Amino acid sequence: MTAVLQLELAAERGGGRAEAVGDFAEFVRMSMPGLLRYGHALTGNPHDAADLVQSVLEKVGSRWVAVQRKGDDPLAYVRRAMANTHISIWRRRRRENLVADLPDSGVVAPELSRLENEPLWQALRELPPRQRAVIVLRYYENLSEAEIANALGISCGTVKSQSSKAMASLRTRLGRD
Amino acid sequence: MDDDLDDELRRLFSDDRLDVHATPDATDAVLRGADRRRRRRSAVSTAFAVVTLVGAGVGLTQLRSSGDHTADELLPTSVASTSSTPPSTSTVYSTSVVTVPAPPSNPSSGNPGTGNPNPGTSTKPRTTTPLPPPPPSEQPSKVDGLALGMTEADALKTGSLVEPGSAADPQGKCTAYATKSVPDPNAAIISPARGIVWLTLPSYAKTSKGVTVGTSVADVKAAYPTATQSGSGLRVEMAATPKWSYIFETDGAAVTAVRMRLNSSDCPGY
Repeated sequence: MTAVLQLELAAERGGGRAEAVGDFAEFVRMSMPGLLRYGHALTGNPHDAADLVQSVLEKVGSRWVAVQRKGDDPLAYVRRAMANTHISIWRRRRRENLVADLPDSGVVAPELSRLENEPLWQALRELPPRQRAVIVLRYYENLSEAEIANALGISCGTVKSQSSKAMASLRTRLGRD
Repeated sequence: MDDDLDDELRRLFSDDRLDVHATPDATDAVLRGADRRRRRRSAVSTAFAVVTLVGAGVGLTQLRSSGDHTADELLPTSVASTSSTPPSTSTVYSTSVVTVPAPPSNPSSGNPGTGNPNPGTSTKPRTTTPLPPPPPSEQPSKVDGLALGMTEADALKTGSLVEPGSAADPQGKCTAYATKSVPDPNAAIISPARGIVWLTLPSYAKTSKGVTVGTSVADVKAAYPTATQSGSGLRVEMAATPKWSYIFETDGAAVTAVRMRLNSSDCPGY
């Protein structure tokens, strides 16, 4: 959330808009497949992945000049924002008790049903989103504990404890404890 | 054991089945959304300044003359005709709720807010505005005299389009215009063959079921049980001829824009 907030609060500049828009369009085209995949790992379903990517990229695009000026790798920045946004969306949804899993969002995951039947995939779905984000950042992104802490705006100690809780629940759900 | 799980997680996350195919217009949708957010942000900043002025007790008359653009400029003529007095704070996106029924051509709807006699009530907080009870209108409403299906020439005659328009797609097949009440450059999309295929409602206008900018996603689904997810928004098909739909764009929690779309639209991405 921190990253997103920083994004929202960043000052806006008007210069070089047309160039920035073209540049951002190229960034979106290049990064979209990887981000959708990463979003799928984070959220556990392709519809939420598409929504998450769309909403984070929209925010980043509306601040593109400021994001680039920060000097970070924009792709890493988007991925961090996605992890944080997913965690906060989940909190909000839990409050609103929204109906999930709506059809027809315009995306199709191949062989989704086979994935759905994987016990590990099902077990991941039961994790709270922050624990799941820690697992995805560690095993999908191959980030270190310090990098995960930095990305999610939490302490290294919290990363360790969330990670070990997550691994313990996964083992329990897979019947391996 | 730990190592096994480590390996399994790495294998799962490198599985091809995690791939999600993007629709061809996904990039365009992101670019439109980013542009919309940027514009909304500047509009909200303006609104914040206006709210501050109201808070300081500056009269509505002064308010109207002090704005960058007057309320009269922003008000759609056809919508205004249903109110005896034009609301003056239509730029206040976050707090202004003007109960203007989206289909002004439908006087039988019996909307209690139609005859809004007092411009001051337009600054009431959203929470105090009752949801209008009438059944859903199945005819698309007019915005500033613009309607779905209207030809570009007729639409230009209304004076409600902000000229010049711009290409709505890379091939330049359709034309995009901002309207007098919606500054988004893609507020209205016009196809040479089908006329207006995409039209954005002003932020203060409501659908016949009371949905407007700021309505929660849950409330939209309650008002329109047939709503289906469409990208980051919700789509509601209306049973009318020609067929059209409401597109409620959302940020995941609340409506950020209300569009009307001709189902037979032949404009790429709209």
